[in-house]
Amino acid sequence: MENNKLIDLVNISKSYGGNLILDELNLYIRENEFLTLLGPSGCGKTTTLRILGGFESPDIGQVIFNGQNITNLPPNHRQLNTVFQKYALFSHMTIAENIAFGLKIKKKSKAYIQDKINYALKLVNLDGYGNRYPNSLSGGQQQRIAIARAIVNEPKVLLLDEPLGALDLKLRQDMQYELVRLKNELGITFVYVTHDQEEALTMSDTIVVMNQGYIQQIGSPEKIYNEPENAFVADFIGDSNIIPGTMIEDRIVEILGARFACVDEGFGRNKPVDVVIRPEDVDLVAPEAGTIQGVVTSLIFKGVHYEMDVMANGYEWLVHSTDLVPVGTKVGIKVVPFDIQIMNKPESEDEEAVTIDE
Amino acid sequence: MNKKKWLATPYFIWSLAFILIPLGIIVYYGFTDKNGAFTLYNVMQITKPDNAKALGLALLLSIIATIICLILAYPLAMILSNMKMNQTGFIVLIFILPMWMNFLLRTLAWQTLLEKTGVINSILQFLHLPTLNIINTPYAIVLGMVYNFLPFMVLPIYNVLIKLDKDVVNASRDLGANEAQTFFKVIFPLSMPGVMSGVMMVFIPSLTTFVISTMLGGSKILLIGNVIEQEFTQGSNWHVGSGLSLVLMVFILFSMIVMFKYDKDGEGGALL
Amino acid sequence: MRKYIKRFYLLFIFILLYAPILTLVVLSFNNSKTRSKWGGFTTKWYHQLFQNEQILNALSTTLIIAILSAVIATIIGTMAAIGIQNMKNKGRSFMLGVNNIPMMNSEIVTGISLMLLFIAVGNFYSKVTGTPSSFFGFITILLAHITFNIPYVVLSVMPKLRQVNPNTYEAALDLGASPIYAYFKVIIPDIAPGILSGFLLAFTMSLDDFVITHFTKGAGVDTLSTKIYTEVKKGIKPEMYALSTLMFGAVLLLLLIVNYAPKKKETEDGLSFSKEGSLKKILAVCMVIILCIGSFFAYRANTSSMHSEQVVVYNWGEYIDPDVLTQFTKETGIEVIYDEFDTNETMYPKVEAGAVAYDLVCPSDYMIKRMLDNDLLAKINFDNVPNIKYIGQTYLDQSKQFDPTNEYSVPYTWGTVGILYNKTMVDEPVDSWSILWDSKYKEQILMQDSVRDAFGVALKSLGFSLNSTNIDELKQARDLLIKQKPLIQAYVIDQVRDKMIGNEAAIGVIYSGEAIYTQRENPNLEYVIPKEGSNIWFDSWVIPKNAQNKENAEKFLNFLCRPDIALKNFEYITYSTPNEGARELIEDEDIKNSTIAFPDLSELKNCETFQFLGDDMDATYNALWKEVKAK
Repeated sequence: MENNKLIDLVNISKSYGGNLILDELNLYIRENEFLTLLGPSGCGKTTTLRILGGFESPDIGQVIFNGQNITNLPPNHRQLNTVFQKYALFSHMTIAENIAFGLKIKKKSKAYIQDKINYALKLVNLDGYGNRYPNSLSGGQQQRIAIARAIVNEPKVLLLDEPLGALDLKLRQDMQYELVRLKNELGITFVYVTHDQEEALTMSDTIVVMNQGYIQQIGSPEKIYNEPENAFVADFIGDSNIIPGTMIEDRIVEILGARFACVDEGFGRNKPVDVVIRPEDVDLVAPEAGTIQGVVTSLIFKGVHYEMDVMANGYEWLVHSTDLVPVGTKVGIKVVPFDIQIMNKPESEDEEAVTIDE
Repeated sequence: MNKKKWLATPYFIWSLAFILIPLGIIVYYGFTDKNGAFTLYNVMQITKPDNAKALGLALLLSIIATIICLILAYPLAMILSNMKMNQTGFIVLIFILPMWMNFLLRTLAWQTLLEKTGVINSILQFLHLPTLNIINTPYAIVLGMVYNFLPFMVLPIYNVLIKLDKDVVNASRDLGANEAQTFFKVIFPLSMPGVMSGVMMVFIPSLTTFVISTMLGGSKILLIGNVIEQEFTQGSNWHVGSGLSLVLMVFILFSMIVMFKYDKDGEGGALL
Repeated sequence: MRKYIKRFYLLFIFILLYAPILTLVVLSFNNSKTRSKWGGFTTKWYHQLFQNEQILNALSTTLIIAILSAVIATIIGTMAAIGIQNMKNKGRSFMLGVNNIPMMNSEIVTGISLMLLFIAVGNFYSKVTGTPSSFFGFITILLAHITFNIPYVVLSVMPKLRQVNPNTYEAALDLGASPIYAYFKVIIPDIAPGILSGFLLAFTMSLDDFVITHFTKGAGVDTLSTKIYTEVKKGIKPEMYALSTLMFGAVLLLLLIVNYAPKKKETEDGLSFSKEGSLKKILAVCMVIILCIGSFFAYRANTSSMHSEQVVVYNWGEYIDPDVLTQFTKETGIEVIYDEFDTNETMYPKVEAGAVAYDLVCPSDYMIKRMLDNDLLAKINFDNVPNIKYIGQTYLDQSKQFDPTNEYSVPYTWGTVGILYNKTMVDEPVDSWSILWDSKYKEQILMQDSVRDAFGVALKSLGFSLNSTNIDELKQARDLLIKQKPLIQAYVIDQVRDKMIGNEAAIGVIYSGEAIYTQRENPNLEYVIPKEGSNIWFDSWVIPKNAQNKENAEKFLNFLCRPDIALKNFEYITYSTPNEGARELIEDEDIKNSTIAFPDLSELKNCETFQFLGDDMDATYNALWKEVKAK
């Protein structure tokens, strides 16, 4: 895999007015990858994207593109195109003129440009909108124009900065499919910024979870979801129960005074750890069959499942289940060893800050 | 909710009494002679060579002043709009501050600066540079116009630029445009509403001024504003004065139409 | 590199904007009275400023008008903006169109249209009541200022109104607020920045306005602008520089304080917010200061205008010692409402229109004849003016040229018109008008900027009478003036004084009275009356027919004829006085016997006094003069 590395961010640091936004960030992006930068606002993901696009330059560090250092290359000379958060369409130009903008600058022939406009409009399902002005289009349509405007330039990489943030849920889901379809059709690399973990899980090949200028974890959606490396990632990706515990020995962890079997090894003996258990992995059984016992304190119907809170040994467990268990019912809690994820307690102060913040 | 529109009533009455009726009086005077009979004589006075020349010169000088103002103001507005937020308020105020010094005194001060033995020439002489003899010429009048009305050009442009989405500029760069292309194809067209109201705010007072031409032109140069002022205060021919004012208003009306075309809200919002 | 270009550019604009202001500041410390000479450092103008009633009154009028007009315009404008916001398309476009008229129409047209309106209303009023109305004054300026201020407020408030989320208002109603309460608690605070900046804009515009005030002001009321405008022609009083320096300094100081006052620590998110905050602070502090100054002056103005008796005087600019006015009020309890004009031609229509009822006016000879012919003057009751005895009989005899019975006028000053030249710049002896056509002195010649004076010079040098009514002679004179135009540095009135003192020009046409003053300031200057002859002129006091306080006018006239007062005025304005009693009191023998100040009338054989030539001839002169000016 190492050989088709397209972009390499090396040791990037950036600060604004004394606030460190990015701290020695290292990241590579492979060809044809759909890579998502995911994190809460202020985590540095947009700054990373803007450094890629050339709108910001890092204080320290290098941006390597196809083996060349492009750190100080202005945006108009980069083979990347950006889809901006609020679309940034040129309101004084028609849709066709917007799309033709980059091509005209490159002095392409009229016929070529017209072909490209037609192709791009078709691609984003907005045939026949060429003569309208951006303000007469809906948010979703403007979004698609912004994408069309970027892709007609045949960039190697498309940078997307929370492009779906302003759209409503249904449209957002449709656009997610559109984007994946586009990516497959065009065969180019997408770098996508979002704070929406569901969006990230749906579309990405690789997710980079960021917080406070640091990369927390890089991995495939499945890996990020199932094996979060720290409490921040676990908490940020989906709902989860994060419970302080003690690793008694390999494969045995003590949580809330009860011992659970798990599959993790190598943490040492009597080591304090964080234990992550996804709500859908908590099995509610008869009290006597559970590892620990508790009482259901709330119940909400969520469509595909019920969401319940279970008070057990002083911790409120979040439980997703397709079975209804009425409030007040005494239940037992059981977890399959494979579904218990053990994480080291944060060591550095920075990491500490991360967890406290969340 | 719609009862609120009656809040505009006092202004409606006010504008009737102090804007529309006075204009009506000017129209009346402009189209009548001393006996109150209808005539086109007053309006046609503009075709007299003297008056036509004064109007032509006023048009020429005010157009030049407007262009210079635009050229000076645009970079200034851009620099100001790109500054860090917390300094901007102060710096913008610095550029409005001179307006608090009386307009006549400021213009008079230019006399002191520009005179043959004035401050600027003394400095030039001291440096053994050729002296500047523009006082009492049209150049000095243009300078006075530019100086007095520059802030009216800077502010509307600044206000448009500061509201401009920076990502639109980034998008243009991103799509391959260099800085010049970005300026001419994106920034400048998008700032048109501000430019237009700035142009109006400079052009109209320049076109109609009589103070600047008197003070910096040594009373040698007659602009249309001077002609009208003299008809009212010296010649005491209000009919001709009104007739010429009407001609002037036609020019202003024409400029307003141009402006409305660009300011689609029709509310001059870019002005402030 | 780019950063430096930007800095340099900012600096350049900054210098452009502040060079004149710096100049004014420097001039305020200039010990010399003329603007073109540095006479050493002094702070005396600052001391004198606070004793100069006229400037302080103009300042207080300016501030009161600015505050009142801004407040009223803010109220009407804000209401209007809310109203317009709630209108349907048609009403909205109409109101916005009307709103644009004063903004887009030139000031001059707005000013004139309002002047015509006020005159029409005044005439209507006097027709109905039968009494002449003195309608022009403070109130007309105020009405005019409100009129051009409202649009600025409307345009500041409208954009803020558009940003207001209508739901907040509805939310307030939903929570039980009455519509009015909801408006004041929810909408008004939201648009407050717009209202505030509208107010400040209106205040600034009013403060800086000249043109509209120029056309709508009445007697005795001056704002700083109009005061300066009358002074410009005469030479600005240095106190005015001191005042503007103080005003500018105050505003600057305020800005610095607001900007550098200890700030709360700014977080990254707080940046944009704090900008808005500090702007608000600036506005708020400005308003407080403005209101404080305003109420102080309002108080001052109230206490100072307690006199019930008054006399309305209309005189040339800088043509009386201000102390004389205060002394008169002190001695008689009669308040002097004092107004100034710069040429006979500007004075005449104002008196004729009767918009302001003046009690005492000081026109020149030919203009007195014109006023007499047009039945604008009242006979003076000389029983009330016993001091007439001090006026030399020769002067009264001369006055018969325009006032045949000596019943309508009392000579105030007199003199000749001649050439003032700089001995260091002119080599040959000067004794003829022809030097004004010598191309050696291109751009070195200052010519009088008034019809009769300019034509007088041309006619005399052609050997004609300066009262010529022969159209051929006049056309020759016009052609001569057009020929002269390229050689002229500027057409000026009283500025010739400053320019000659400052060595700006070599030759100037000047009134003899000014010559004395200029020689005192610059010993290189010499005055001659050309051999072709010249103008001998009189400025005399007359009482218009529509005077409301005739007896007070006569009292004031009598006061002016008192030798000690006449002397005071002579020393202040340096124009020759016809008052023999005053001449006796002059201590300086040189001046007492100066042939410039007191030429022997018999020696001025070729000199004539201007005659009134009839309205039609006047129009001809004006038309020919305009042809000269427009070339």
